Amino acid sequence: MKHDLAIVGAGPAGYIAAKKAGDEGLKVLLVEAKKLGGVCLNEGCVPSKTLLQAAKTYHHALHGEAFGVEVSDVRFNFAKANAHKTKVMDGMREGIVGLMKKRKVEVLFGQATLSEGRKITVDGETHEADNILICTGSSPSRPSIPGIEGSNVVDSTGILELEQLPKSLVVVGGGVIGCEFACLFGSVGVPVTVVEALPEICPTLDPDLAKILRNELTKKNVTFHVGARVEEISGSEVKFSVKGESLTAQGEPILVATGRKPNLANLGLDNLRVDYDERGGIKVDERCATNIPGVWAAGDVTGRAWLAHAASRMAEVVVHNITGRKDHMRYDSIPSVVYTSPEIAVVGLTKEQAEERGMKVTTGKIPMSINARYLAEHPGERGLCKVVVEEGTRRLLGMHMIGGACSEMIFGAAAMLETELQEAEIDEIVFPHPTTSEVMKDVFMAVR
Amino acid sequence: MAIPVIMPRLGQSVEDCILAEWKIAPGAVVEEGTVLAVIETDKASFDLESTAAGTVLDLFWEEGDDVPVLANVVAVGEEGEDVSGLRPQKETAAPTAEPASTPATSSDTPTPAAEAPVVTSSGGRAEAGVSPRAGKLALRSGIDPESIVGTGPGGRVIERDVESALARRPRLSASAAVSARKAGLEPPVRGKGLAGMALAGDMLEPGAIEGAKVEPVKGIRKLIAERMMESFSNTAQFTLNSTFDATAIQTYRKRKREEAGDSNYSKITLNDLIAHALIQVLKRHPDLNSHFLGDRIANFEEVHLGVAVDTPRGLMVPVLRSVCSKSLEDLSVGIKELVQSCLEGTVLPDQLSGGTFTLTNLGMLGVDHFTPVINPPEAAILGVGGISLKSVRGEDGQITTAECITLSLTIDHQAVDGAPAARFLKDLVDTLENYPVEDAGQNNGGETT
Repeated sequence: MKHDLAIVGAGPAGYIAAKKAGDEGLKVLLVEAKKLGGVCLNEGCVPSKTLLQAAKTYHHALHGEAFGVEVSDVRFNFAKANAHKTKVMDGMREGIVGLMKKRKVEVLFGQATLSEGRKITVDGETHEADNILICTGSSPSRPSIPGIEGSNVVDSTGILELEQLPKSLVVVGGGVIGCEFACLFGSVGVPVTVVEALPEICPTLDPDLAKILRNELTKKNVTFHVGARVEEISGSEVKFSVKGESLTAQGEPILVATGRKPNLANLGLDNLRVDYDERGGIKVDERCATNIPGVWAAGDVTGRAWLAHAASRMAEVVVHNITGRKDHMRYDSIPSVVYTSPEIAVVGLTKEQAEERGMKVTTGKIPMSINARYLAEHPGERGLCKVVVEEGTRRLLGMHMIGGACSEMIFGAAAMLETELQEAEIDEIVFPHPTTSEVMKDVFMAVR
Repeated sequence: MAIPVIMPRLGQSVEDCILAEWKIAPGAVVEEGTVLAVIETDKASFDLESTAAGTVLDLFWEEGDDVPVLANVVAVGEEGEDVSGLRPQKETAAPTAEPASTPATSSDTPTPAAEAPVVTSSGGRAEAGVSPRAGKLALRSGIDPESIVGTGPGGRVIERDVESALARRPRLSASAAVSARKAGLEPPVRGKGLAGMALAGDMLEPGAIEGAKVEPVKGIRKLIAERMMESFSNTAQFTLNSTFDATAIQTYRKRKREEAGDSNYSKITLNDLIAHALIQVLKRHPDLNSHFLGDRIANFEEVHLGVAVDTPRGLMVPVLRSVCSKSLEDLSVGIKELVQSCLEGTVLPDQLSGGTFTLTNLGMLGVDHFTPVINPPEAAILGVGGISLKSVRGEDGQITTAECITLSLTIDHQAVDGAPAARFLKDLVDTLENYPVEDAGQNNGGETT
């Protein structure tokens, strides 16, 4: 039986593509090697955010005094938090099963192998399709550090499978994933040491935000070593050096969170002669088309964006193009969030990125503490809102926030970016009061 | 008795109206006040109401027609009545291109820039034209009505075509709207923003073409374009090709170079040798060394040789004057100097006119033969192709190969006929194959007829 679209990988690219294509009346085959939902639902976003909320709740219970809430004998039950996590994941997976069933998407479990002529083989059976979408996602990558194969070393997948709260944790890599786990375990009382090679954590973020995050996490049992070179892992000890000084940190376990790599193996991609880009992902154009007609790729496997919602958008772009609606990616307006406490949410360009593109920009920043709602809800915390504006046109180029529920309000800035709003226009949008979102409007006062 | 309903005069200055759409068909029963049709002036559209009651007997116009005011539009009466006496004389109507250009070009149109899109009725779809209302709307909306596919009679662009084109245009982002307003930029058919929204970066200079770098035609390119069109529209071009065995000029050139040492002969090119032979032959065929001036033909005594030069700015044809008595060496030096001055941009305007015959060579670019375009008012031009190996029968009757060059002579058939041109070409081939031959000053080409 020939399908209109065969999708390899049922993560946030794959199942969204299947859903959209099903809505368009296409005959869809969805192949998954592990579980529906991909890394996001099973090993990433969803379980980690569930546990982070548990940690946040515990933290609030512990530190309610500022609000006059005095609680004694507060305990963190990791097993119950894990049970909640499992329940959320199961519920979401069932939801995907329902979505697929409703759209008559054929779902197969197994390793898919692609071959020329848009053929796809699963469990010895070969299927043909007019279009193939490769969205096999990514896996944690491990740098070559002596001792990294030790049994005490886990990656972001392994750490979510812990059944007991660790006594201590060392995180190698102070990127977004490393900081989220540091926040999670630090908040529930586990001493955490983060070892980052670069001079600042979260190097893709605006440096002002990264600095505030580092200071806030330090208040939550997290010790940072930046500019640190990891030399060896031996048992529960990580040996590293900072400016020539040799240091050690103890962790059981040791989390390695130094990045991810596209899942390209065993797919038969070389049979197809698919091109790769310099980042090691499948090379795609702005429509997510590969060099082979009818073969598309979306999500982490392309080595771009590394975000579930970016993967879903790429999938949507693919289905649009297959069904004759011209569409393409606009990476600059894809928001990204760090789900630490405080949260970070950003969209658009940083000052540095804009200037690299030869744009003349000006910035403004205000502390979150000028905002009534933020001040009421986050005593003793620091937050910041920073805006990047094009000189002359005063067009919004980037919005960068740390503090409050900024992950829930960043879409507003994304909509402003997508429609290229300028300061004078944003000035006339009414924001509800009192909400933290008002900082996005007020920050323009600080633009010079 | 049948009664005509006439096109009302809708204003002092209104001379005619477009019949945009019929609302009734022949045979329809109408009352006074029944809407018969939608009519358009260049300012608004109106309903044409019936001024009589009865059956519609005939529609005298088609949708899209320009109907003069006070002309009969329909006939209303009792079925079966003769309406031939009411039928307007169609000669007075002008359903073709003219009405499209006239309303919009009126001198009171405020901005010349805005006027431009409508005054294009001489273009490809001029036949069908643009209705005045459609033109106005297009002009107000900043789109070229000629770029719209018309759905009116004969493809005439009517208002609804402009409206649907506008509906298809992408929404502008806030910043794109500013650049449209301030910088006069235009959106593409589909932008790169949300659902095709045009972003600031998508906005194009007026007249821009997506996926292409668009530059205005100006300077030397404009001049070349004009000259080429002038050439093709004012001459009757006819090309003859002939191949000559280049052994003689190759041998001569080799010998001269070997003898030359540091003298200018060391730099003699095949093109110089062909030019030298050409001048000798032209002296024997003055009808090829001429200007065709419409009512007169000027056959020149002297040869002023134009040489086509490929320069970074485009094709230039400098003229080397009075070359009849020039030695091969002087000719070679003269051509090189002219070419150099063209490449450097130092050539004088006077050096770019006054030729009597032009020589052009694409041989070094790998072209075997081509159709040169006459440089009017000159009556002929010679194109030189590249060297290629060809089979020839030697004097001993054996087939061997020789390096050959094809000459392509384009003549203006208004000035010269085919046979004399062929004789000239034969003479030139003979001269080149026997180079060097002393100029006998005689027309020996005639013998080959």
